[in-house]
Amino acid sequence: MSKNKIVLAEDNSTLSLLLKFRLEKEGYDLFIAKDGREAIDLIEKETPDLILTDIMMPFVSGLEVISHLRLKLDLDTPIIVFSSAGQEEMVIKAFNLGANDFMGKPFSPNELIIRVKRLLN
Amino acid sequence: MATYQYFIDYFNEAPSLIKLAWVTICILFTAIVILTIYLKLIRTALRKKNTESAKFKAEYEATLIEYLYSGSENGDINDLQIATIEKLKTSVHIKSKRKIIISILYNLMNEVSGEMSDSIKTLYFKTGLYNYALSRLENKNWYIIAKGIGELTRFKIEEAHDLVVPFIKHPRHEVRKETQLYMVNMFRFNGLTFLNDLKEPLSEWAQVQLLETLQKFDDQQICDIKPWLKSTNNSVVLFALKLAKIYNQFETKDTLMELLSHPIKEIRVKVIRVLTNLYGIEAKEMLKANFNELSLEEQISFFGLLEKLVVPSDEPFIEKHLFHKNFEIQLLALKILKSINLDKFMGLSKSPKNKSNKKILKFVTNI
Repeated sequence: MSKNKIVLAEDNSTLSLLLKFRLEKEGYDLFIAKDGREAIDLIEKETPDLILTDIMMPFVSGLEVISHLRLKLDLDTPIIVFSSAGQEEMVIKAFNLGANDFMGKPFSPNELIIRVKRLLN
Repeated sequence: MATYQYFIDYFNEAPSLIKLAWVTICILFTAIVILTIYLKLIRTALRKKNTESAKFKAEYEATLIEYLYSGSENGDINDLQIATIEKLKTSVHIKSKRKIIISILYNLMNEVSGEMSDSIKTLYFKTGLYNYALSRLENKNWYIIAKGIGELTRFKIEEAHDLVVPFIKHPRHEVRKETQLYMVNMFRFNGLTFLNDLKEPLSEWAQVQLLETLQKFDDQQICDIKPWLKSTNNSVVLFALKLAKIYNQFETKDTLMELLSHPIKEIRVKVIRVLTNLYGIEAKEMLKANFNELSLEEQISFFGLLEKLVVPSDEPFIEKHLFHKNFEIQLLALKILKSINLDKFMGLSKSPKNKSNKKILKFVTNI
């Protein structure tokens, strides 16, 4: 059985590495993008089963990634958005654009795994 | 050889001004060459440093992740983790490496919660970074102390409380502010006890930062703010008024009423706003009854609030102040009258008695 593919768009390299370790341990194939532009390239190339994206990223924001996926590529891949304190309005915009779930930072990686499993099942 | 001789002869025979120009050209040319080489060396050194930093960062990130995921479920530290701690311990003695380790730990601390966050804190202690932060508190430079306190705040080190608290009375406001933020970040509302005997002014920026920190916490159970409302430090009173408004401190009513006779006008005006916010109609009636005893600024502030809370029964009071000597009150009174009784307001506009107030009436009519 092939592994589920996940694209993670996150500019904090330590968090990316931590989540990669955790998600790969759970049996997922993880593709890391350090900004929105790389995320869009990876999404187009790998057609993942789930996308994890931070809202604030260099070059292309998480909102633009969601917008590109839903409006341009017309894909309904589940998206989990990471947001920091004070980005509540951004989260609402993300949901309006088609995000499926969100997690406020700081978050527990264990909780993220539960949410990922729920969306992929 | 003949060419060189030609140039030497040319230089010796040239007028003084030309000689000076040539000397200047030579000096500037030499300076440009030296500076270009120097710049090149600096750039090479910086690039090398950046490459090394990136290399160390990648290495330490991997080491940290390994440490975090190799922990046992009961929280005990295993051999692999001890080896990681020892490896990091040797690196924290080097300033540049220490900075990288701190930035990695802090970046991750901001992003993850729960057990991971606790593990990072444990690592902070075990690697000796905690001792480095404490040593900063003993430094004679105020900015190093402030940085040390800031680091302890970011890593949520409650254990340093006794060592940080004395800085609450530091002569530099930057150090005091960091200490105040440490207290509130660690102990939430209980951390505000420094307000009890704060003699120095609490700046507006410091107040905003403290309020922002307090709003981050889920537990919004505030302590008794009455002593701060009675403080002799005016900035503490103003901060307590903000707390009263944000956290709906209804039980402070009597203290707030007493503050209406505070010698500082700014405080009295803010009290009116808080009272109206907390008690609405009740406060309005009370302030209306004492209107003539209020200062002009307070009266303006009261009319500003009346604009939001006005009811038809306030009409006689509004009418009494329609042509108040103060323009702002006059304008607000007319606006309020227009909103509650348009016919009466239109009657005023048409009355020949009000010719002198024609302009303001016309202005309010067109709003």
